[in-house]
Amino acid sequence: MDRQQDVVLGAFFVVFGLSAAWGATSYSGASGIYPLVLGLLLALTGAIVAVKAVRATAATERVLIDAPVKFCTTIAIAVVYVALVVPLGFYTASFLLMLALPLALGFRRLVYALIMGTVFTSIVFLVFSVFLERPFPREVILTLFGSGG
Amino acid sequence: MDFYVNALLGVLTFGPIMAMVGATILGVFIGALPGLNPVMAIALLLPLTYAMDPLVALGMVAGIYNGSMYGGAIPSILLRIPGTPASIATTFDGFPMAQRGEASKALKVACYSSAIGGIASAIALMTVGPLLAKVTLLFGPAEYFWIAVFGMASVGVMVGSDPVKGLMAALLGLWIGTMGLDNLSGQARYTFDQTWLLGGMPLIVVLVGLYALPPVLQLAEKSDFKGLSAAALKLQAVPFKKGELRRLIPTWFRASGIGISVGILPGAGGNVAAFLSYNTAKNADEDPASFGKGNPKGVAAAECGNNADNAASMIPALALGIPGNVVAALVLSALVIHGLQPGPQLFQQNPVLVGGFMMEMLLTSLLILCLGGALATRVFAQFQRLPGVLLVPSILILMCVGVYVINGRPVDLWVMLFAGIAGYFLEKVNVPLAPIILGMILGPMAEQSVRRALLISRGDATELLTRPISAVLAVATVLVILWPIQKALRNKRSASRKAD
Repeated sequence: MDRQQDVVLGAFFVVFGLSAAWGATSYSGASGIYPLVLGLLLALTGAIVAVKAVRATAATERVLIDAPVKFCTTIAIAVVYVALVVPLGFYTASFLLMLALPLALGFRRLVYALIMGTVFTSIVFLVFSVFLERPFPREVILTLFGSGG
Repeated sequence: MDFYVNALLGVLTFGPIMAMVGATILGVFIGALPGLNPVMAIALLLPLTYAMDPLVALGMVAGIYNGSMYGGAIPSILLRIPGTPASIATTFDGFPMAQRGEASKALKVACYSSAIGGIASAIALMTVGPLLAKVTLLFGPAEYFWIAVFGMASVGVMVGSDPVKGLMAALLGLWIGTMGLDNLSGQARYTFDQTWLLGGMPLIVVLVGLYALPPVLQLAEKSDFKGLSAAALKLQAVPFKKGELRRLIPTWFRASGIGISVGILPGAGGNVAAFLSYNTAKNADEDPASFGKGNPKGVAAAECGNNADNAASMIPALALGIPGNVVAALVLSALVIHGLQPGPQLFQQNPVLVGGFMMEMLLTSLLILCLGGALATRVFAQFQRLPGVLLVPSILILMCVGVYVINGRPVDLWVMLFAGIAGYFLEKVNVPLAPIILGMILGPMAEQSVRRALLISRGDATELLTRPISAVLAVATVLVILWPIQKALRNKRSASRKAD
């Protein structure tokens, strides 16, 4: 299992390194030499990793993802959260994340999650918007009610 | 002497004091929560320090580092769950002590030992660091180039289990460091027509993604729904017997020496220091069989050793720009965020800041004596009753808010997410993450130094090797790279001999 992973890893870095080196050839003068050398060295180390994996005799089990369903669920919800930060507003999206992610992972104490979500989002709001006065994307709820945000 | 007095005056003001106290408390809390670690905490903290005074920001880093290294002992002793990787050795004797009702005593030993290790380490930093920095006054661009290459090669080779993968990670970091406008020629490199990339790949965004997201994903995979019961966290006061603390003094001396030595070496971390200290204490004891069965000397050695590594790892980081471990790499990132170039010039250009950070490492170690111990542990341990699954979105939100406030760009959130997912898989296939960050920090310094050296020598590349110090550094770099190869060949030969 780990041999296959290392072959793929090595091959990826060979392709990546060669692409980087090829990209560097279009840069003028000294500014192209350094990334060209780095790209070639990346490809070389990738090749060594892949060749070592191919030649290795003993194979050990290395699990890439321990809980694939929970991993993919977390990534998917994180992607949706990042996508919603601008259209919904930071605090609205964050409050929804505090509810959605634990529930999607199997947590069934809704009231607990609701209290945690409210308390945590309020603390983040107080620290970043009130105390540190950092600007964040406008909250959609405030827009709906016709006030600023 | 002026160096230390000015530094102390800079630190003993309202902002840095509040930062140190608050961050040490936060650090103990983070260390006490299994799944969270000092690296992740500092990575999350760094974006928030942008607008702060550098001494306040570094005070927070020092507090979180020292506090969390002690905090890791709390679950190690109470539950046999290491709060941080560096506190694994603490479980060996800490948990057996807790099982026989001496949890409170074990926590006190851990607290005193952490503070003593931290103080010894900070004193080493304050004495050796400036001396090393004086040597670096002799350095020119060629030497700076070799220092950067030596740092990356040593960390790349020594961190992780496979030196080739470590080098690959360092090269990846160097490559990422080339993105954006070239400072010398103005050429845009690897920007893919994206204006936000002209300033280069944002270091702190990549750093937060690489170091904070993988542990969050692992917490999500574990999905702890319950947290711990109140009964599991009950402590009973057990006083020390006469002379019991005095008998720990030789252990503290030995562990401090080992921790400091390990800290100075690039690549080794607190866990190595803790294991070495523990084994040395065991071998030196008249009753080695009592180790692993609840001997307080075991807790003292492990905790003193891992804390003695803390400030010592900053010696090569501050004086040479070569971090001894991942946290030192993060401290270098903090300096970069505040517009300071890590390395030899730092001591000349910003003596109050460097000296102040040294003082902060010392003062936060002293703070552990006040903020640690059994009483504080009763408070901090209560956070372990929180279901782990609720920490997942909380940390994710902190990551996003931290990254967003830097530039106010949504694209940074995507970069962080991508870096985090890449970091998760790279760690799983044993590619260390520290060399990537180190490459991003030292890459621009390496490139600019080599190009300046070549400009000065009118293109004569032998200039990089003919100066005495640069020649020594070049040889040291080659040896660092060849050493693991030679070791692997020797192991292979002895294995084939055995097979014959």
